[in-house]
Amino acid sequence: MLRLSREGGLAHFPGLARPRCVHCTGCSEEQLGELQSLLLALPGASVAEAGNDRRRFCVALVGEGGEVLWSQVVAEESAPQALLAWWRRAEIAPLQKKTDGQA
Amino acid sequence: MTASNLPMARPFLPPYLLERVATGGSARLRECARHTLLVDSRFRARAGAVTLPPGSERRGEPARYVHSAEQQQVLPGKLVRREGQGESGDSAIDEAYHGLGATYRLFWEVYRRHSLDDQGMALLATVHYGKEYENAFWDGNQMVFGDGDGELFNRFTIAVDIIAHELTHGVIQHEAALEYAYQAGALNESLSDVFGTLVKQYQGEQRVEQADWLVGEGLFTDRVAGRALRSMAEPGTAYDDPLLGSDPQPGHMNDLVETHEDNGGVHINSGIPNRAFHLAAMALGGHAWERAGWVWYDTLVDQRLGRNSDFATFAGLTQDNAARRFGATSEVAEAVLAAWRTVGVLP
Repeated sequence: MLRLSREGGLAHFPGLARPRCVHCTGCSEEQLGELQSLLLALPGASVAEAGNDRRRFCVALVGEGGEVLWSQVVAEESAPQALLAWWRRAEIAPLQKKTDGQA
Repeated sequence: MTASNLPMARPFLPPYLLERVATGGSARLRECARHTLLVDSRFRARAGAVTLPPGSERRGEPARYVHSAEQQQVLPGKLVRREGQGESGDSAIDEAYHGLGATYRLFWEVYRRHSLDDQGMALLATVHYGKEYENAFWDGNQMVFGDGDGELFNRFTIAVDIIAHELTHGVIQHEAALEYAYQAGALNESLSDVFGTLVKQYQGEQRVEQADWLVGEGLFTDRVAGRALRSMAEPGTAYDDPLLGSDPQPGHMNDLVETHEDNGGVHINSGIPNRAFHLAAMALGGHAWERAGWVWYDTLVDQRLGRNSDFATFAGLTQDNAARRFGATSEVAEAVLAAWRTVGVLP
């Protein structure tokens, strides 16, 4: 499963920061290829950009047992448009009141 | 792109993924990835290339520059209003211009600080950033404001304390340069909220009991169940909305949120020092910028405030600065100590 979440900004809104999930088992070969290509193209180390209140995308590959196999954080301005499109149409995780911000 | 140079080019990808792409991906996919890489590297080369225009050589006078990105994601965009020019008729442009001025005035008239660096640095803002962009941020050189989506958020220049909040990040950058993570990051956020709200109160000539102590009041549309982004008086009560969720801010160290999200909770745990400032200011009464504000400003510029300072370090420095400016047994020193004790930062 590919887990996408948008964090940061002027405030932390638990509802808007909820992870969105792409279930790879439900993807076609072409979609999987597109995702693979996107992951390959993610800019690295861009979260160290200067400034405050900037938004960023957290991308994680999650195994069947819920374990994080790989993750990457990308500044919003550096995120490929195609990744944003996947994030917009991905399934949103349920909202958990008062605990979303906690590890 | 070949299998042999992939790991060098993208070392952050896991080896198994690299291998799968390199050996299993089609030629078209590999070419697509290479193209995206090139586009991104060009984008990053443009980012951070902003050269600041001339600042103000005359202390007491700002040098403001407001640009419009014209719904693109470009910085700084087209210059649309500069120092001394009249109203543009565009709400976002004029609000940004006046917000820059209001922020400059507080720092100059109260704390005798000449712009962000105390050297007259140009004040830059870009409005109409992106399409329906629902955020405002400080990029290390300038402020950036989106128009909001109209569904949840109005334009981000609508609240003067938000403009002042972003500019204060610039002041912090030139002083303690607090690390933007965990407690130091929450202090960075809290200081921006404190001076953001002081700009709003100073502009409105409000006494502490007249102020709403809300951050970003007016940003939400009528569809949102909430008053503002944050409440300094009652952290955790600013909004409770089906889409945004519930305000996660704590107001006491017992409820400190340990998380890796939000840069370690910088916008979450800032509720604790925010409430401490509110408590101190309310105990002292009058205008918050006159006594509590001075203590926080003295601490912001204190050389002992390090990049990784935590809440307790900051609280200790406010105590010391209150004693230095107003006296060790003064009402101010007592109010500051009591405030930090109430929020559980000091014993």
